[in-house]
Amino acid sequence: MQTRPPAIQLEDVHLNLASAAGAVNILNGVSLSVGVGETIALLGPSGSGKSSLLMVAAGLEAASSGRVIIDGTDITHMGEDALARFRRGRIGIVFQSFHLIPTMTALENVAVPLEMGGADDAFDLARAELGAVGLSARSDHYPGQLSGGEQQRVALARAMATQPKVLFADEPTGNLDGATGAEIADLIFALHARAQTTLFLVTHEETLARRCGRIVRLKDGRIVADERV
Amino acid sequence: MNRLSLALKLARREMRSGLSGFRIFLASLVLGVAAIASVGSLSQAFLTGLAEQGRVLLGGDVSVGLVHRQTTPAEHALLEKYGRVSETISLRGMAYALKNGREEDRQLVELKAVDGLYPLYGSAGLSPNIDLADALKCAANICGATAEQTLLDRLHLSRGGVIRIGKQNFRISAVLANEPDRISGGFSLGPHVMISDAGLNRTGLITLGSLIQYSYRVAMPSSRTPAQFRAEAMEAFPDAGWEIRDRANATPGTSNFISQITMFLTLVGLTALAVGGVGAGQAISAFLDRKRNEIAILKSLGADGQLIFLAFFLQVMAIATLAVVIGLAAGATLPFLFAQFLAGKLPIPADYKIYPLPLALAAVFGLLSAAAFGIPPLARAREIQPASLFRDLVARANARGRWPYLLAAAVAGALIVALAFALAPAPIFALEFLGGIAAGLAILRIVGEALRLLLKALPHPRRSGLRLALANLIRPGAHTVAVVTALGLGLTLLATVALLDRTISAQVQNDLPDTAPSFFFIDIQPGEAQDFDRAVTRFRSAEDYKRTPMIRGRIVALNGVPARSAEIDNDAKWAVSGDRGITYAAVPPPGTDIVQGKWWPANYSGPTLISFDADLAQGMHLKIGDTITLNVLGRELTGRIFNLRNVNFASGRQNFVLILSPGIIDKAPHSFLATVRVDPRDEESVYRSITDRFPNVSAVRVKDAIAQVNSLLQELALGVRAASLLTIFAGLLVLAGAISAGQRARLYDSTVLKVLGMTRSQIACIYAMEYGLLGVVTGALALVTGTLAASIVTKQVFGVPFVFDSEAALLTVLGGGAVTLAMGLIGAWVALAAKPSTQLRNP
Repeated sequence: MQTRPPAIQLEDVHLNLASAAGAVNILNGVSLSVGVGETIALLGPSGSGKSSLLMVAAGLEAASSGRVIIDGTDITHMGEDALARFRRGRIGIVFQSFHLIPTMTALENVAVPLEMGGADDAFDLARAELGAVGLSARSDHYPGQLSGGEQQRVALARAMATQPKVLFADEPTGNLDGATGAEIADLIFALHARAQTTLFLVTHEETLARRCGRIVRLKDGRIVADERV
Repeated sequence: MNRLSLALKLARREMRSGLSGFRIFLASLVLGVAAIASVGSLSQAFLTGLAEQGRVLLGGDVSVGLVHRQTTPAEHALLEKYGRVSETISLRGMAYALKNGREEDRQLVELKAVDGLYPLYGSAGLSPNIDLADALKCAANICGATAEQTLLDRLHLSRGGVIRIGKQNFRISAVLANEPDRISGGFSLGPHVMISDAGLNRTGLITLGSLIQYSYRVAMPSSRTPAQFRAEAMEAFPDAGWEIRDRANATPGTSNFISQITMFLTLVGLTALAVGGVGAGQAISAFLDRKRNEIAILKSLGADGQLIFLAFFLQVMAIATLAVVIGLAAGATLPFLFAQFLAGKLPIPADYKIYPLPLALAAVFGLLSAAAFGIPPLARAREIQPASLFRDLVARANARGRWPYLLAAAVAGALIVALAFALAPAPIFALEFLGGIAAGLAILRIVGEALRLLLKALPHPRRSGLRLALANLIRPGAHTVAVVTALGLGLTLLATVALLDRTISAQVQNDLPDTAPSFFFIDIQPGEAQDFDRAVTRFRSAEDYKRTPMIRGRIVALNGVPARSAEIDNDAKWAVSGDRGITYAAVPPPGTDIVQGKWWPANYSGPTLISFDADLAQGMHLKIGDTITLNVLGRELTGRIFNLRNVNFASGRQNFVLILSPGIIDKAPHSFLATVRVDPRDEESVYRSITDRFPNVSAVRVKDAIAQVNSLLQELALGVRAASLLTIFAGLLVLAGAISAGQRARLYDSTVLKVLGMTRSQIACIYAMEYGLLGVVTGALALVTGTLAASIVTKQVFGVPFVFDSEAALLTVLGGGAVTLAMGLIGAWVALAAKPSTQLRNP
């Protein structure tokens, strides 16, 4: 029987960035393997390197050294455009600040990754995905006409529309009030359950992290704990 | 789905939000395209008008000009073989107003005597609208004449008044409102008067050697062509010394002038496009800066760099297309408005309609400049990384863009230069102009950057206001360099034009007072010469009186090679293109500056020797010992160059490029030219006394002639200044763009400063310092570059010393400062008017 490769595999990943004040070592030799369909939460204090680790794992940032393998493909040395094409259909991302495109309607926002993937029925699929997050009635609204919770639902629909292998979520409830945040969290886990997508969640909320199957704690760019829940 | 259709979709969605981010870009392009399109259309209207009206402007299908003499019977027979022939005779003369039997006011006039066939084409416009032949017919003692209104005004006469010209009285039967062939004549020193040939015969002004131009116009049947005539005339009468022009090129001087002005104005239009391009590039950068997040989001969703570039490039080009359409509409409409405004005021005929070629050219220039200035910021936007969504901790990537994109922008820029170069009638001038603009832009940019670095390096001022003002000029994203570059270029052009204007005016006026004569007298006959000398020199203040024989002739051969096929430099061609004044002298005239060879002995009477202008000799590749053949009164005369002289045309004195030794030339019938300088208080009495006593002599007041030249220069300078305003306007657009781009930061700053307790007047003071400093520095910089440009142009093009004018300089610096300050404060006013509470609630 053939073993499926891990959804995410990081080997001794370092990330050093230049800043006006000099070089900053953000990740210092992170190694991590996340299985297909697993839910993993990355916990750590502010500045510990959580978001940077997410960026490297999602192919949004190239590691300074080490290897990054996603869904069996080594993306470590891919150029920026190759990474962009790789993300299509494989990776969905939800941001803390939603990051919807203000000039597009909710429906169009969800359709964009589908269109980029070449789907002929991009708008039908997008409409269905909006329905899945309970926003069918708001599909023609622009981001500016939606509440924070609604915007995050659209972002979630957009991230899930291509049925990605991995869903990355960076503090998805960080900009929302408690009740709305809880609704979004429920929705994320419901979508995960439906599609069996690997979930990579960055948060600083212990209770949200506890809903995942595994918690990895980060401090000063190093993994200090890796526990199964 | 392919990349293009996806990019189109993204672009379409983006553009639903309107043009708000592109207003400056749109305005800059519209301005440049409209300028080039309107200049091109207007020029085409004039050139077409001139071409269509060729035979009317020329007065015939062919025009043959002779000086001093009429055609011989054989020559006339040839003309008549080709069609109907009309003869006109042009000369200068004095017109005296007769009132109550007394002669009062007088005026130098350009006299034209016409035969019964005139005009062969078109018609003379008379007011009242009577028949020309009736208007000019002669009775027993008096003839009819028509004159321009200017003459009636100057002589204080009205229609029906009587003037005397020579020995004949004329009644002004009508005002000459339109002389159809006027533009093909030369420079006018006085108002035009038209009389009949019979009337001219009665004046007694026709004497051998008088400066008279005979013109023969031929109206050809369709079976004959001007080319056939030209070929036969050259073969049958190679030595006639006549000037032949035809309907296809009736007014070569005017056509050339229009082409040159068009080229200059097109180049100014291109400068406006270049200045606007800086603003357009800035506007696109600002727009893309606002779209950073969106681009990063698209990239995080899987959009690659090419898709991002394509999506935004399509938007830029769509806006550019819109700008081109608006610009072309404005450019095509402006000539019609111009026609309404100037109807009947221009001597040049124009055929106003929509000309596709100049419009297409303007469109190409517009789209190419949008690409040249738009691609670099788009190439940078292509490099925006999705990681920028997460953090601003690390300095933003400051990629310059990949080389293929930058190469594409450079190619678009090179195409603009190549197109301007290929279409210019004087490509070298076009290249120098564009090179100058590029150098100016580079200098301004370098100095702008240096200014920013200098301000950065300065110790921080203690006064918080000044500190904040300086900080605004050097902080990241400050538009200091763009404003200095774009507005600086506009102001540079203005400073250049203002300084050139002053230099040339100063040249004309400065050179004359000390050395120039007060009067030129022409057509003094040999028999009255000595009386004339006495009449002038009896005035006590008469100085530097000089009477010189003068005869007209043209250079027809150099060392035996016909002038039309001899190797002659461009700057010397004028000397062989028409008749020149020739004199003779036994001894060198006072002030003669011989640079090579020596003067002939005073008693020399051998074969003709020539004293020639040294510069022309160089341009014609002639040296001492070479021969020049002249055609004088239809006869050829060959002389050998004996010496070369410096001739200073700017001196305002008598200047002859050709002085011949006596012996042969003095036997030809000729008249004299005299010059004299008198005390300005005596000018009127000298004028009246000489013209009273010698009615056949024409008196030209030098100050009137200078005024005429000056008014032409002033009109030209006004046009050029108006054109440079266009560039300044483009510069102002850039300034407005920079202000609007920084408005959000300004709003935030003023809110914070208000929260910290600063009053609105204190904040306004900071902005005033910021913009005042920027404006004065830009103005001062423009003055330096403008002075440099003006001094190069005066020395290289006009060949005169450069005169710095502090008034024009001050105007540039203060004007630049004031305009920048005013626009900055308008922007600041909006920021100051906003309530801090509103801003804090909705950051």
